[in-house]
Amino acid sequence: MSDRVRRRPWGRTPIAFLLVLALAAACGGDSSGDASAGGASDLPGPVPAGVGFREAPAGAAPAPALSARLVDGSPVAGSDLWEDRPVVLVFTASWCERCRDVHRRAADVVDEHAGVALLGLVTEDDAEPARGYADELDLGHPIAVADDGVWLSYAVREPPAVVLVGPGGKVLRGWPGGVEASVLAARLEELVEDSGDAGG
Amino acid sequence: MTRAGRAVSTLAAVLAVALAGCGGSGADGLDARLRLVVPDNNIRAEGIECAGARPFGYIRAGAPFVLEAGDGTALVEGELPAGHAENADPSIDWGVERIPTVCVVDLELDDVPERPRYRLRLPEGRPLGFDRSHLSDDEPLVLVVQ
Repeated sequence: MSDRVRRRPWGRTPIAFLLVLALAAACGGDSSGDASAGGASDLPGPVPAGVGFREAPAGAAPAPALSARLVDGSPVAGSDLWEDRPVVLVFTASWCERCRDVHRRAADVVDEHAGVALLGLVTEDDAEPARGYADELDLGHPIAVADDGVWLSYAVREPPAVVLVGPGGKVLRGWPGGVEASVLAARLEELVEDSGDAGG
Repeated sequence: MTRAGRAVSTLAAVLAVALAGCGGSGADGLDARLRLVVPDNNIRAEGIECAGARPFGYIRAGAPFVLEAGDGTALVEGELPAGHAENADPSIDWGVERIPTVCVVDLELDDVPERPRYRLRLPEGRPLGFDRSHLSDDEPLVLVVQ
């Protein structure tokens, strides 16, 4: 038997190698594709056809610049997200239990409103636990690690806080401590254009 | 000394040793109940879970603390629990759900080595000093975070 192995040194290796490759492909699919929860794969696609949003009121304050890295290290810019859609920002933290409910509730509301984006923002010192937080919640929406400057520019003193940014990048409303689903839903519905009802 | 006297002294000595033995761990350590008040005056619903609002963001669940003796020796190390929001001015009935609050963190430390003076060191800010005599079984010691 050992003789056979010696005679055919490559006879079994390719099979073993292929098996390893197959296992790696099957098991490592997620990590090789950087499909971690809250990462780039959770960034929203284009606004669906037929969905439109009203312009934010002219007097609304411009949203402070926001650039950060998602929990998988991918860059994200607020201006890319809110260019043509409303964006719900959830300021959160991995150590904050109450934030989890607020974040989940906001995600549920956003999921009911096509084209609206949700971005979770944790502080820099929570970079590592933030990944655990993103995995735990697995909301299907991106979560970024933002520095203190972002929190300060949005006047967030303590998580959780929710901020609604309108299309074009105008701050429409902030809710320190979180927001009820019905309240957020009502604000989003105000922003949706009635294009679907135009014919009827 | 009479026989009875010797018996009494022996009994007293045995009792003393036994009491010292039983009380060894308890006598060395004391239970310290601290009430950390974060004077952040943030608007919250009373009673909800909270962390310190900026600039007290370092007071939060999981933040490390060290209780030191007066000479700087670390006695207890741990992590803070979450706080809860309390009315910043209990003399005022604000009449609304969200009111000015302070965030209060209750810290219960068991078996703290007894020292005349302590210092609670938090991740940032000034260490909070207090004396052994300030600790009481009846009321937690209030320490205002600075």
